Amino acid sequence: MIRHLPTALFAFAALVIPYSVDRIFLHTGIEKKMGTVQKIFYFHVPLAWIMMALGVTCGVAAAIQLRNRSRRAEAVSIAAAELVLLTGLGVLITGPIWGHATWGRAWTWDARQVSTGLLWLVFAAYVLVRRYGAAGSDRLAAALAIFGAVDVPVIYYAVKIWKTTHPTTDVVGSLPPQMWNALWPALAALCAVSIGLLLVRVRQELTAIALDEAWIAFDERAPKGASTKGGAA
Amino acid sequence: MRDPARVLGPLGARPWVQGSRSATHRCDTRADVSTLARQAWLLAKNDLRQELRDLELVLTAAFFTLVVLVMFALAFAALPAADQTLAVPGMLWLAVAFVGALTLTRIFDREREADTLRALLTWPVERTAIYFGKLIVSLAVVFGCTALLLPALALLFPGASAFLERPGESFLLLALGCIAYCSVGTLFAAGLATASGKNVLLSVILYPLTSPALIFALVATRALLEGHPSFTTYLGQLAALDVVVVVLAAWLFEPVLVGPVTRRRGPAPARSRSRGATP
Repeated sequence: MIRHLPTALFAFAALVIPYSVDRIFLHTGIEKKMGTVQKIFYFHVPLAWIMMALGVTCGVAAAIQLRNRSRRAEAVSIAAAELVLLTGLGVLITGPIWGHATWGRAWTWDARQVSTGLLWLVFAAYVLVRRYGAAGSDRLAAALAIFGAVDVPVIYYAVKIWKTTHPTTDVVGSLPPQMWNALWPALAALCAVSIGLLLVRVRQELTAIALDEAWIAFDERAPKGASTKGGAA
Repeated sequence: MRDPARVLGPLGARPWVQGSRSATHRCDTRADVSTLARQAWLLAKNDLRQELRDLELVLTAAFFTLVVLVMFALAFAALPAADQTLAVPGMLWLAVAFVGALTLTRIFDREREADTLRALLTWPVERTAIYFGKLIVSLAVVFGCTALLLPALALLFPGASAFLERPGESFLLLALGCIAYCSVGTLFAAGLATASGKNVLLSVILYPLTSPALIFALVATRALLEGHPSFTTYLGQLAALDVVVVVLAAWLFEPVLVGPVTRRRGPAPARSRSRGATP
């Protein structure tokens, strides 16, 4: 059942995305102050929410990995961190486009922009440590992910802590019902794609971890002198 | 000299921790604050004594601070006083970030070179005390060196004269910023010291992770220089962030260094066969 879940999620997204685009561009009114460019909101906000949720997922999975030495949690942590990079890239591209049209400048060094950029850098560091760290750096990377997850609420409350030009968090709460109705399909489609990709990467990582362990076990059992060459063959 | 790793067994293995815990290590789970503080101070005192013998870390960090200060003075001496209040906070916290990274890359070097970190981890001391001991040392070096920056910046840049006019608040701000920076840095420097020492990764980890604290410190410094009334609010927020960061780093220290040590399974093995790292 779970084996076919990513395929089902991608199929769901393939059906919902055209409906969502149709709904956003043809059946939802144009916002008075910002005009047509406000349509980017339907992609920017869900991507930001997904990025934060994935950041927290990565941190929680890393904490479980550190506490229980769980390989599954480790795989979830790696996959979620990579998807934070992907969704974060989406947020950091769509945000400045929206900002350029609304504020007149793509990047205003607003607190939430900076915090999102920093969160992206933290998870980029996580991926770099996982990729280039020496033996034992999986635990180090897990601690990095936990710190990254702690950064997520800082981002959320950054608007309130610092005086800023970014729309406050109340913007989403005060949307008219018509705009909410257009936001949900976009959010559902992007969530389905993200969860599908997460499951695929988790499966790949679990396979890689199992291969690692099998390789080490083979090396340990092989007679001295033949371990490396024999192991590679 | 005998290899401490061979004498003391694998990293993280402490026989007295397995099964029923002995009096030797009864502080492992119920460590009271005074025991922890005493152990941390003993370890810090040992490191500080070694440092005072050759002054290697202090002198290199102080010299580096001086070089950074000279570079800033050369680059920004001609700035108008109004712009200096914007530039000086950046200079101060960039210097802290650079000097901190330099210090933290060296803070575990003695242990790594003599392989004594392994021995330290097998000692009957609270592992959190090892973290706090190292934190005290790194904090002493970074704060000691960057504290020189406050009067120097105030003398070089008239826009930063508030550092001399309100010295107590200035040093408190610097101390709070250094605590946030060093608490994160000590944790990851320790992790890298055990992970075959790829120190280059420390900067990759440290700068993004400490940026929120450095931003808080920057905003607070600017408020101090401008005499803004919200300075105390920013200082309070920075102190709250310090508490969160120190607690989180102290909590993560043992799992990062040795992994979860359980009674049944022992310390976590390192797995690195096919990822380009040496086991």
